[in-house]
Amino acid sequence: MQLAKRVLAVKPSATLAISAQAKELRKKGENVINLSAGEPDFATPDYIKDAAINALKENFTKYTDTAGIKELREKISLKLKKDNDLNYSPREIIVSTGAKQALYNALMVLCNPGDEVIIPAPYWVSYPEMVRLVEAIPVVLPTKNFRIEPEKLERKITKKTKVIILNSPANPTGVVYKKEELEEIAEIIVRHNVHCLSDEIYEKIIYDRIKHISIATLNDKIKNLTILINGFSKSYAMTGWRLGYAAGNKEIIAGMKKLQSHSTSCPNSIAQKAALAALGGNQSEVERMRKEFEKRRNFLTKRLNEIKGIIFSEPEGAFYTFLSHPQISDSLNFAKELLEKEKLAVVPGIGFGKEGYLRISFAASLREIGEGIKRLKRFIENS
Amino acid sequence: MAGWRLGFAVGNKDLIGALAKLKTYYDYGVFTPIQVAGITALTGSQECIKEIVSTYQRRRDVLVNGLNSIGWKMEKPNATMYLWAKIPEEFQKIGSMKFSLDLLDKAEVAVSPGIGFGRFGEGYVRFALVENEQRIKQAIKNIKKFLT
Repeated sequence: MQLAKRVLAVKPSATLAISAQAKELRKKGENVINLSAGEPDFATPDYIKDAAINALKENFTKYTDTAGIKELREKISLKLKKDNDLNYSPREIIVSTGAKQALYNALMVLCNPGDEVIIPAPYWVSYPEMVRLVEAIPVVLPTKNFRIEPEKLERKITKKTKVIILNSPANPTGVVYKKEELEEIAEIIVRHNVHCLSDEIYEKIIYDRIKHISIATLNDKIKNLTILINGFSKSYAMTGWRLGYAAGNKEIIAGMKKLQSHSTSCPNSIAQKAALAALGGNQSEVERMRKEFEKRRNFLTKRLNEIKGIIFSEPEGAFYTFLSHPQISDSLNFAKELLEKEKLAVVPGIGFGKEGYLRISFAASLREIGEGIKRLKRFIENS
Repeated sequence: MAGWRLGFAVGNKDLIGALAKLKTYYDYGVFTPIQVAGITALTGSQECIKEIVSTYQRRRDVLVNGLNSIGWKMEKPNATMYLWAKIPEEFQKIGSMKFSLDLLDKAEVAVSPGIGFGRFGEGYVRFALVENEQRIKQAIKNIKKFLT
């Protein structure tokens, strides 16, 4: 059987092997501690679930506008104004089946085969694969202390560069870019007239009273080149609902709408009503979850500091830390042995384009984090 | 369940495996409660399907019999909720787009122009059986006026 080249070029998720093995062990009754999760461990807030139940009762179960119901796009427009000081009209917004589809569609709309997309490393595992699926070329940009160095970014730009991916707050490092850094990056993007795909999915999960800044707010030129990606999964603990959105220049959004109309049509109608409630409701649940993540981060970093030789990123946002230790060389092997011997599941750094590292998620209870780090310490000390 | 967005593909496991890989990077799974609803749809009583089908069949009969009786001749479709109808001879020259627009404007009946289904669809329109019998009868009256 001969599958198309575009799907053969795509690697299966490097993180999948570990999570499958962790599940297997758990099924056998092993006491596995899972610090590999990419989703909040909280339940979706009740007021959001109630909105979905009402949508069902009112038979809101038919096709909607491909770009999402107008009320939701209006509410997102309002949110972008209020939280981010950004003006996007509902016509400059599209709701998709997860932020993932929004990212994928944006790449589909912007890239021709052979175009280059610059991805700062360590990166979220899906970026390079999505770029390959649209038959563009991922160009990896190494970073310093996990932050983009503007002059190195500029050196990666060629005639074929079409898009630069920016992810702040970042998965897997927890890096949040400051205004001055964004200004330097934006200046380069504008000068070279490329696009910025700004993945802001972790916007609300941010610590130490740092303020999230969207690169699109800096000036009109960068705003016009930016496609802002966000969604409901992380802020509102709604991963399974599959609902995200993109905001940007209306021609790009229209292109994404056209594409979506022929691939998945509208996002799920019930989830759209739930998202409307999420944005419209009291935001105290978001803050409650954020505070809990901050408490966990503080606990985790304190415990990690007790392990000799560990170097880790102090997360400013998101719910991950990215760490290295002299004993971690082959991260996949290390993660496998850690799981086998200590029943601790973490994600090997190689999947994020950085060998010698591990990603630890703190979307887990304090007890699990405490026990997990105890096991990591024991494993390092005994090997 | 149109707005629920749920479908499936079945086939050779290598092909399905490749689809699953693609889906990992495209939209990552299906809204979870909807998957549970999908299980219920498949395992529960299938009576609702019979009811829906007989409703469409009655609508089809009313529409086709009605159109035939006013001189717009066509066969009954054997499946789906659509009726694919050749535009009456005297209106052929204006094309399916203009014919559909005129029908909407003058008879207040919305149909899809055949040209939207490819160039070989020209000369035809598509009716969807999404209105109740009473309203279909009203539509036939309006179409009769329009045609004569």
